[in-house]
Amino acid sequence: MRPPTGRDTNSRSPDYDHLAPLFHEMAGLSDDDPRRAVLREKLVTEHLPVAQHIARRFSNRGEPHEDLVQVATLGLINAVDRFQPDRGVDFLSFAVPTIMGEVRRHFRDTGWAVRVPRRLKELHLSINAAIGELSQRLGRAPTPSELAGHLGISQEEVFEGLEATNAYRSASLDDMLVADDDSVSLGDAIGEVDTELAQVEYRETLKPLLARLPERERTVLVLRFFGNMTQTQIAERIGVSQMHVSRLLARTLAQLREELRDATG
Amino acid sequence: MSSAHPHVEGAGEAGSHAAARRGVDRPSRVDLRIDARPGQLSVVRAVAADLAMHQDFDLDAISDLRLAVDEACAELIGLAAGDSGLHCRFEVRPQEIRMAAEVLSADSRAPRQDSFGWRVLAALVDQVWATTAPASADPGGHVVRIELVKRRTREVDG
Repeated sequence: MRPPTGRDTNSRSPDYDHLAPLFHEMAGLSDDDPRRAVLREKLVTEHLPVAQHIARRFSNRGEPHEDLVQVATLGLINAVDRFQPDRGVDFLSFAVPTIMGEVRRHFRDTGWAVRVPRRLKELHLSINAAIGELSQRLGRAPTPSELAGHLGISQEEVFEGLEATNAYRSASLDDMLVADDDSVSLGDAIGEVDTELAQVEYRETLKPLLARLPERERTVLVLRFFGNMTQTQIAERIGVSQMHVSRLLARTLAQLREELRDATG
Repeated sequence: MSSAHPHVEGAGEAGSHAAARRGVDRPSRVDLRIDARPGQLSVVRAVAADLAMHQDFDLDAISDLRLAVDEACAELIGLAAGDSGLHCRFEVRPQEIRMAAEVLSADSRAPRQDSFGWRVLAALVDQVWATTAPASADPGGHVVRIELVKRRTREVDG
């Protein structure tokens, strides 16, 4: 695990330091101790500004502000419940990525770039879920006909649902959110690159470009092109959907292509 | 978009088996001519993905083909002379999709095969190669071409 980066200015705010002992106190109580509920509520309430701050960062993106605050608060409650004070990490370093994750999931579930009929959204969601299930069972990505069979719908409907993915706007939001997401540390995959890059021209130009990518983008790229893993395997390894891996790859490749062209003339 | 689906022979499992029984392996073809500009890539990508989808390739293969076609055509667009076009031909067979894309280039330089982009291409498809040849006297220059083959993912024991 990486040490907390303190990138968010709030992480070092002394405003919350006085609450730290309460986590220790809560950790020492048994589950049915009535004092637990009191502490939990106090911790959630006192940390609410953190959730509000994160929600504010994602306003003006088409989601009602109150919804974002609610989702962020849910993330905060999860963070309070799951935080283990004896791990040596301060609460905010743990809570910020947890809350961001919750907001990101919200955007992923509701974020559509254009008005898409409800039927298509539901179709997209059920296809996405079916992809996960079938990949588990088959050990590879499913085909449209397998998805159709699994969901009891026609192949044409599957095609429609897969095409609807293009209207899904989570990609651009992921850009922003993933960059701030410290909850997944994936550095171990990167060591392989150096030896592999030996045969690639312009590697001295490429290396800093790769290094500048957000960690998740870089990991997906490395695993696919230097680790010989399929998109489905990568999706399983880093805990996102295959569709998401596909989008990340497409965007990252296009970006690198442009940067390489600028850098090498 | 959906009305533009070319008639893909042997689309789907049943169709491809029937085609194999009849010994028919005549590919269906799709020809695209677009301006050699990055803004046109989405058209080629969409066609590639649509063909693979209707051929019932698995989702990884569909996405890989889409990425590979994007990469190959972007490479060619970078080499294309002036206002020339990009010609892109797909051949669809039950077990594979081939794409051959070409542009007119001012020089005879083929895409570098030690580039990062080529590495990406090679990882995405089963086969990829590039050729160059002198173009006809008018308008002159060189035809630079990238061809690639993406096969249906081999079934593994589930």
